[in-house]
Amino acid sequence: MSDRLLADWRQHALTLETEVNKVVVGQQNPVRLITIAIFARGHVLLEGDVGVGKTTLLRAFTRGIGGGYQRIEGTIDLMPNDLVYHTYLGEDGKPHVSAGPLLMSGEDLSVFFFNEINRARPQVHSLLLRVMAERTLSAFNKEHVFPHMIVFADRNQVEKEETFEIPSAARDRFMMEIPIVVPNDDDIMSGLMFDTRFHNVDTLIDTVKPDVLKFDELNAFSGVIQESVEASKTLEKYALNLWKATRKPTDFGIKVTNVDMNRLVLAGASPRGMSMMLRAARVNAWLNERTAITPEDIHAVFHETVAHRLVFSPVYEMRRTEIAREMLSNIINAVAAP
Amino acid sequence: MKSLKKYWLAIITSPLFILSVASTYALEYEELPDIKPGIVSIQIQEPVRNVGYTVGDILTRNMTITIKKPYQLIDESLPIIGYERRYKGQLVGIDLSDLKHVKKEHSDDVTHTLSLSYQVFTNNLVAKHGSLPQEYLRIINTQTKEVVKYRIPSWDFAISPLSIYGAVKIESDMSGFRGPLLLDNSNLKQYLKVLLTVLALSLLGLLYILGKYTWLPRMGGPFAKSYRLIRRSPNTPQGLQQAITSMHQSLNTTAGMSVFGGNLNEFFEKKPSFKPIKTEIEQFFALSRQVFFEPNAKHDIGHEPIKWLARFCRRCRDCERGLIPDALDSKV
Repeated sequence: MSDRLLADWRQHALTLETEVNKVVVGQQNPVRLITIAIFARGHVLLEGDVGVGKTTLLRAFTRGIGGGYQRIEGTIDLMPNDLVYHTYLGEDGKPHVSAGPLLMSGEDLSVFFFNEINRARPQVHSLLLRVMAERTLSAFNKEHVFPHMIVFADRNQVEKEETFEIPSAARDRFMMEIPIVVPNDDDIMSGLMFDTRFHNVDTLIDTVKPDVLKFDELNAFSGVIQESVEASKTLEKYALNLWKATRKPTDFGIKVTNVDMNRLVLAGASPRGMSMMLRAARVNAWLNERTAITPEDIHAVFHETVAHRLVFSPVYEMRRTEIAREMLSNIINAVAAP
Repeated sequence: MKSLKKYWLAIITSPLFILSVASTYALEYEELPDIKPGIVSIQIQEPVRNVGYTVGDILTRNMTITIKKPYQLIDESLPIIGYERRYKGQLVGIDLSDLKHVKKEHSDDVTHTLSLSYQVFTNNLVAKHGSLPQEYLRIINTQTKEVVKYRIPSWDFAISPLSIYGAVKIESDMSGFRGPLLLDNSNLKQYLKVLLTVLALSLLGLLYILGKYTWLPRMGGPFAKSYRLIRRSPNTPQGLQQAITSMHQSLNTTAGMSVFGGNLNEFFEKKPSFKPIKTEIEQFFALSRQVFFEPNAKHDIGHEPIKWLARFCRRCRDCERGLIPDALDSKV
């Protein structure tokens, strides 16, 4: 029964991927990673330049997952209460309070999309931290629960004006940080310019088959995946070595160009981060019809689940993306399994 | 008894006979007329130096004598090897020790090439004169039967003593023939030989170390070591794990990075010599996956993976050495 369940859900997952790939072209790897995050029940942070399709990608997934969808734009004057409620004067001339984006869909909230999260103030980040970690919120003398919620957020790393760096504690709450880059394929680039179906995003999103997944069953099925996909002792040792290498890269002979490795890493991956990495690796194994995790499953999610958790010396923060990518690539090249 | 007496008589009288014959020859030469000029021509190559000889030395004179016809050399008149020469009844101490004679006839004349080697049997406390003696040749006119003589001139040289008589201050002796005084360096030569041997061995050792502990290029590589290990590995689950681990280590060492099933293309780009066994490498990763990570996974290697690994490792070793790998179905 479990095998059939796994196969059925795998089919749904692949259908969702196909649907999203229809509207967001040339982004197969990010689409696969977001699918993994959905089934691993992890929050996703997208990082990329302006206008590369981050929002479209997340909206397409939201339509496929189903359930309640809320969105908020990060701005410098956004306050935490803006996420919870807003007040206005009604037609009757009296003040009214209505639910904000977090509360509007109630328990059915499946996707909370925070656009340009790094434009919001640290107070907002702080509220979001709790919601992401505990999926609860206290408001109006009541504890609100969002059991099916996944936070999708995006940020633009290039533009630094009027932005607030997301603290490492907040970054750590995200299962993955996925870079979105413009596809290199000339045909795809040409299609994005000239194909009129890409001009109207709303119409484009409407072409995605809605409710491919049953959002309220994802939590339970996620547990099935995690229990059914095994990890051998050899793989445990391999993952442990990877973790150690992120903490003390010099012990594994890791070097990064023009970087003093003794000063680079202030903190390696966190236990939560490594746990999330293995959750994601299990989902990748399931999507590839495997019953156990292999090193390739870890490699498929290693950069995206670990890079944003590394805490570097401030002198290297400006080159974070480049250094993290080279360091993690070198770790994979240096650590052997078995 | 009578015959014994005859022998004794012959032994006693033979030197007297030889002496009388020699003196008869000398007298004969003196009585013979000299040959007319122009009949005989001679070229002599004397020893290269005329000083510095001492007892035991051999001096060789090479000469070419041309005799016009109808005159002809009487071969019996050539000097006799071992004949002791005397001057005023005293032995001169220079004896003919060897003679080589080559005769070559031409239409008008005959050329005789003679090589006369004399050995010095005399010495003195101080340097003294010596000479290679003159020799007389008898020549006959074959038409008139007249016999004449031809004289090969003597050649003078100096005989040096073996040691200097009396006390000599060696530092003041500037004789060019003495040569430089040499110190005994046999110990140093021995020492030098030992050191050169040590140096040669050290260089060989250094070569071995710099050659990554192999005597020949591309030998003793990671797969060669793995091959030796895998051939000894027992056919047990632990043996199989050990063999696969060794293969992984060899692949990683060869590539200079960790090789996985997902980055094989990168490996082949780095090591194109392994491309011919791409299929086997993929099979190996499938086996590794089943052994180490996913027991339910399938591979197509069969029921004797250790034997397959040994064959596969040998093919990898061939690739490592730049050879064309053997067919996989060959025996281990």
